[in-house]
Amino acid sequence: MMKTYLIHVNGVAYEVEVEEVGGNTAPTQVAPIQAPTPQVKAAPKAVPVAAAPAAPKAAPSGNGEVIKAPIPGTILDLKVQIGATVKPGDLLLILEAMKMENEIMAAKAGTVKAIFVTKGQSVNSGDPLIELQ
Amino acid sequence: MDKIHDLAQKRAAVEQGGGVKRIERQHASGKKTARERITYLLDQDSFIELDTFVTHRCTAFGMEKTDAPGEGVVTGYGTVEGRLVYVAAQDFTVIGGSLGEMHAAKICKVMDLAVKMGAPFISINDSGGARIQEGVDALKGYGDIFYRNTLASGVIPQISVIMGPCAGGAVYSPALTDFIFMTNYANMFITGPQVVKSVTGEDVSADALGGSAVHASTSGVAQFVGQTDEETLDMVRTLIGFIPSNNLETTPVVPTEDSSTRTDEGLRDIVPESPNRPYDMRDIMKNVVDDYNFFEVQPAYAANIITGFGRLNGRSVGIIGNQPKVMAGCLDINASDKASRFIRFCDAFNIPLVTFTDTPGYLPGVSQEHGGVIRHGAKLLYAYSEANVPKLTVITRKAYGGAYIAMCSRHLGADMVYALPNAEIAVMGPDGAANIIFKDEIKDAADPMSKRQEKIDEYRNKFANPYVAASRGFVDDVIDPATIRPTLINALEMCITKREARPAKKHGNLPV
Repeated sequence: MMKTYLIHVNGVAYEVEVEEVGGNTAPTQVAPIQAPTPQVKAAPKAVPVAAAPAAPKAAPSGNGEVIKAPIPGTILDLKVQIGATVKPGDLLLILEAMKMENEIMAAKAGTVKAIFVTKGQSVNSGDPLIELQ
Repeated sequence: MDKIHDLAQKRAAVEQGGGVKRIERQHASGKKTARERITYLLDQDSFIELDTFVTHRCTAFGMEKTDAPGEGVVTGYGTVEGRLVYVAAQDFTVIGGSLGEMHAAKICKVMDLAVKMGAPFISINDSGGARIQEGVDALKGYGDIFYRNTLASGVIPQISVIMGPCAGGAVYSPALTDFIFMTNYANMFITGPQVVKSVTGEDVSADALGGSAVHASTSGVAQFVGQTDEETLDMVRTLIGFIPSNNLETTPVVPTEDSSTRTDEGLRDIVPESPNRPYDMRDIMKNVVDDYNFFEVQPAYAANIITGFGRLNGRSVGIIGNQPKVMAGCLDINASDKASRFIRFCDAFNIPLVTFTDTPGYLPGVSQEHGGVIRHGAKLLYAYSEANVPKLTVITRKAYGGAYIAMCSRHLGADMVYALPNAEIAVMGPDGAANIIFKDEIKDAADPMSKRQEKIDEYRNKFANPYVAASRGFVDDVIDPATIRPTLINALEMCITKREARPAKKHGNLPV
């Protein structure tokens, strides 16, 4: 059975076809908070959907201040959790790059609204790390 | 007596600029007038105005009826801490400070005087742009200024202070000068938001396009930003205190109470034991200069390299250093640009260079390679090699590969190179080097992981230290961190008579 879904990702509509092959399988895993777009991945045979731009990476939702990776590297440690209150200069996470444990700090006070990375994850420069509000 | 009265009246009229109303409007927006800015910048009562009675000679588009007191620019000379400087300040209250033929002629006259007398030229910009009514004569005005900026470059320090709009052709005079200061409400762009919108469809505010924050951190156009007119002009005075008046003078010496033999054991704790831990290189810089007074240049742009001025036993020096706290202190396109321009300024004006090295190397990446890190990075090699002022280098920790060479190594002509005991000077980091040198040994080992670690440690012990370089004489001495200040002062005084001839040439070809 082929089913067609319309999925909206960051305001862009993707038409996705999903074919049911087995019987009653367990419901698909709930998406991690920061990745609201897993269905796109679950549809490998989907019509070429313009190379789904923001596929696996969560996109910052907007009005908060997004802290981006200044340099490509690996997330060594996360020092804050969602909801934490931070002051300017507070340590948010450690980004290991160029053999250095780079300390990524909050530029201004706020609350951690979203965390886009996990420990051990590799990031490119410009990738969103944390959103403050 | 009538004629003397007449003179006083005429002068007073010009000094009123665009009139009380426009002056009030300038004040209401938090800005000083051109004359107030000059008065604030210069030593008290030192300003002598020139060309007070110059007027335009444009008769097109009703301009014959437009009176422009002072031609929209106040020019003259005065002193900063007793030293002669020339000034031109555009007067926004007089037809928007717009630049016409005679306005430009006034500026050119003081620039010519500044070059002849060998004194800094300070240009305060607050102008709506070219005076359209004057047509090609206004363009001539800009061209004349650009030409003089270029000829004066490297002869006298030229400082631009942007205190209002600065758009279109007007941006290129500041761009040709040595330092750009901006107040936080100033703007600079080639084409303004309206033109951008009509051509590319991008909707952007003037501040987001060319505000002071953009130019201080993203574009690298501005070196200094002040919140107010006063703060900005104070910084101009501070800068002038560090630099000589022309390329034949040596740097001004400011006597200090700070002992030239001051040591500080606290310096031993700044650089962490672990090579992977960051620290703030400015802590070292501030500690070793006179009175802990370090004046940073372009702090918000390419913060992975630090540039600034300080004094060692009274004598100013240009200080350059990698910043391990930002992007691991690696060299990239922007850092190379920022540092090379600073080095070339110092060399042009006989300011000795002190370099603090702690860099893992050049930043890898597609954007860097495609952005031309090869030609930008080459500027740093060029600038250091070309400089023949005294050059002192302190390697505080990592100095690897090409970046070791680039950061004023012995090979680029450093006069004295010092290393701290925990310095690592080698062709590359232990991890990478072990992987290459001991590739087969690691592969064939029963336990490759532990073999690899063993080889990394072996490499670190053998090569990641200052003593290999010191055994070749590439490092002149390995020093106790506590003694950086007296060591540098001693070396600087030893180098002060340095004369290093270079082959005669028209000019070199810096990779731009």
